[in-house]
Amino acid sequence: MLRVIDVSKSFGGLQALKGVSFEVEEGRIHALIGPNGAGKTTMFNIINGFLKPTSGRVEFLGRRISGLPPHRIALMGIARTFQIVRTFPEMSVIENVLAGMGKEIYRSWGVFFKTPWNQENVKKALELLRLCGLEDLKDFAASTLPIGLQRKLEIARALATSPKLLLLDEPASGLNDQETAELAELFRKIRDFGVTILFIEHDMRFTMGVADFVTVLDYGEKIAEGKPKEVSRNPRVIEAYLGTGSEISA
Amino acid sequence: MTLDYLYTLITFSNIFIILSLSLNVLIGYAGQVSLGHAAFFGIGAYTSAVLAVKFGLGYGTTLLLSVLIGGFFGFLLGLPSLRVRHDFLVLATIGLNFVVVALFKYIDFFGGPYGIIGLPAAKFFGKELGTGGYALYTAFWVVIVILLMIYIEKIYLRYGFEAIRENEDAAESIGVSVPLFKIYAFTISGALAGLAGNLWAYQMGMVFPDDFSFPVSITILTMVVLGGVGTISGPILGAVLLTFLPELLRFIQDYRLLLYGIIIVIVMMYQPSGLLGRQGILRKAFKR
Amino acid sequence: MQIVINALVLGSVYVLISIGLTLIYGILRILHIAHAGIYTLGAFLGLTFYALTGNFWLALILSMVLTGIAGVGVYSYIYRRVLSKERIVPLVISIGLFIAMQDLYRLIWGAYKKPFALDLGINDIKGKGFVITQHQILILSLTGISLILLYLLMNKTKLGKAMKACADDLVMAGALGINVERVVSFAFFLGSALAALAGVLIGVYENNVYPTMGDEVSYKAFVVIVLGGFGSLSGAVVAGFILSFAETLLVAWKGFLLPRDAIAFLVMILVLMFKPEGLFRRAST
Repeated sequence: MLRVIDVSKSFGGLQALKGVSFEVEEGRIHALIGPNGAGKTTMFNIINGFLKPTSGRVEFLGRRISGLPPHRIALMGIARTFQIVRTFPEMSVIENVLAGMGKEIYRSWGVFFKTPWNQENVKKALELLRLCGLEDLKDFAASTLPIGLQRKLEIARALATSPKLLLLDEPASGLNDQETAELAELFRKIRDFGVTILFIEHDMRFTMGVADFVTVLDYGEKIAEGKPKEVSRNPRVIEAYLGTGSEISA
Repeated sequence: MTLDYLYTLITFSNIFIILSLSLNVLIGYAGQVSLGHAAFFGIGAYTSAVLAVKFGLGYGTTLLLSVLIGGFFGFLLGLPSLRVRHDFLVLATIGLNFVVVALFKYIDFFGGPYGIIGLPAAKFFGKELGTGGYALYTAFWVVIVILLMIYIEKIYLRYGFEAIRENEDAAESIGVSVPLFKIYAFTISGALAGLAGNLWAYQMGMVFPDDFSFPVSITILTMVVLGGVGTISGPILGAVLLTFLPELLRFIQDYRLLLYGIIIVIVMMYQPSGLLGRQGILRKAFKR
Repeated sequence: MQIVINALVLGSVYVLISIGLTLIYGILRILHIAHAGIYTLGAFLGLTFYALTGNFWLALILSMVLTGIAGVGVYSYIYRRVLSKERIVPLVISIGLFIAMQDLYRLIWGAYKKPFALDLGINDIKGKGFVITQHQILILSLTGISLILLYLLMNKTKLGKAMKACADDLVMAGALGINVERVVSFAFFLGSALAALAGVLIGVYENNVYPTMGDEVSYKAFVVIVLGGFGSLSGAVVAGFILSFAETLLVAWKGFLLPRDAIAFLVMILVLMFKPEGLFRRAST
């Protein structure tokens, strides 16, 4: 579904990504892991269009998307969340989700005539909020939510765009054990809706538990990929993690 | 205070309500802080003055063209905003204000420093309005603009604006084109300022470059911020307050500007979201 | 030659004013419009103390110190309390403050231009086709001395380095144990004192001081900090002189469509659009 082909990216003299290729297959929960500074978020920013690759390209559903502006890529069906949560703080919870439902309208004259507050939208928004466990909080301003709930709201907003592929940047960071367990459950539900997931994570236990497939980056290069079990036994991966003092346990 | 004078003040207040609501589209909704709004006001007023005095066009035509040309320049001068953000945008719009006023001043076609005088009174079905009638007429436009704002708050446009105001990256990620919505905001804002310009030109019967200089932009911004950015009632309150405040402060004539400045500072320090803003005291007082 | 001297003098004043703005913007990211009011205060205090004491140097130093303290007051009583608010809040406060200051000066010192006649007893330097008046000598030498002292301060002292660290990353500087409050207060003191110096010098040079003398300065200085690259001191110095030379030359070469203010702003808009980091990269990074 998503093909990253020989993508490199440099900032000034610094090479953040060096010829990385990988593929995300439809219906998977795919993890992108690696030590700090491995280039994971840069990769996300390239996939969803915030950055243009220095060389190489990205294809989605057989069409080249690298070079398109991010709102066009969103329109094609890639949604994302951010490492540092970026909800719309002054909108209410449900408004955040409703705002996410207009990707086709935002590019048409419909912005001048249509309201997001129609029955169908509200029903769908409530469903998404229920899925993410936020239904009771629908009228609170997003900024009043604790960070863990804001992360869930961001996921709900991303799902509101009816994506085919969902990019999640460190969804488990800042969550406690219980919340992390709920997140894993949510991942599976989202997949069952037919949405493919590509996510970045540092929490190895969570990652290895929920992912079907793992791609490992280190210093901007892909050093391994495969099923979680295979990857966690891969000596290069262990070395990369030990080298930075992080620990890996599956 | 004579009745005529009161009517004139009401007209001014109405014009500034339209101006502050139009700036609010830019600042409050779309989050684009501009300190050059008087430029669009001036473009609208000069459009009317030039068309009426030099080309003898009737009121209806000049009104329509003021709005259209105001909107067009909003669009055109909004283009730089696609490249410039935050403080840089504030500075760029200040610069814009100076450049536009300089063009009015130094191009003979626009009458130079002496402006354009001799606009005929606006006629409706062949009749002239008196001072009171004109105040009522401007109030009619205030109502239209308020209805427009209420409408905007309900449609997707508002959600796109809010999205880009609160986070441009997040906005893009849900399919909102940040450049497109900035252009929408500048165009709408420019068109409404053009309307205000038309109303001003026919009220005064003449236009001068300095009527649209940087301090006027400051005044409009102050109205919006003092009343409450991003609300409809806030900018209205701000415009009414700052139009009538100097008159009410007449008994302490000599300290007017000093008090004006101090009030701005104090309100901003203790009511940073504005008197009728989301956390404003007046808003809370009304809710109770 | 005369043009070059005039441009240097004008540029000196731009630079002295811009240093404060640059320091403050560099550290707090506030567009400190009221800085022009501080500059006017410096001019009035200088004039007042000169009239009282008859000693120009004493008056200058008193004015710089008191204006510096006023600048610190603006920071600690006003800006410091709204730093966490949306950026538009300090901006509007700064505007309100500027309006109030100008009116206060009018109430205290009167609305009209007051002469600032000063004879230093130095001879004008006359050369072939140019004259450097005693006032120009005063401005050029004091600016030169200030810039050298500033350079030493920023590069050779702990305080200067702390200021740079704060400009790079305020939070990080605090975490590293730098007393941020003190450094910011000092930046306001320094910037305001230099603005006072500029105010006094312009008052002497043009032989008048008046409440609205800061109007033109308030926005002109912003052109300088944009051209210089926000927050870069050396950039501001070079940009101040470039602006003064460009303006002086354009005035000498008549027949240009736009007045010099508009040109400055047109250039500023273009720089913001195409080279938003300013014409000069920040020296510290």
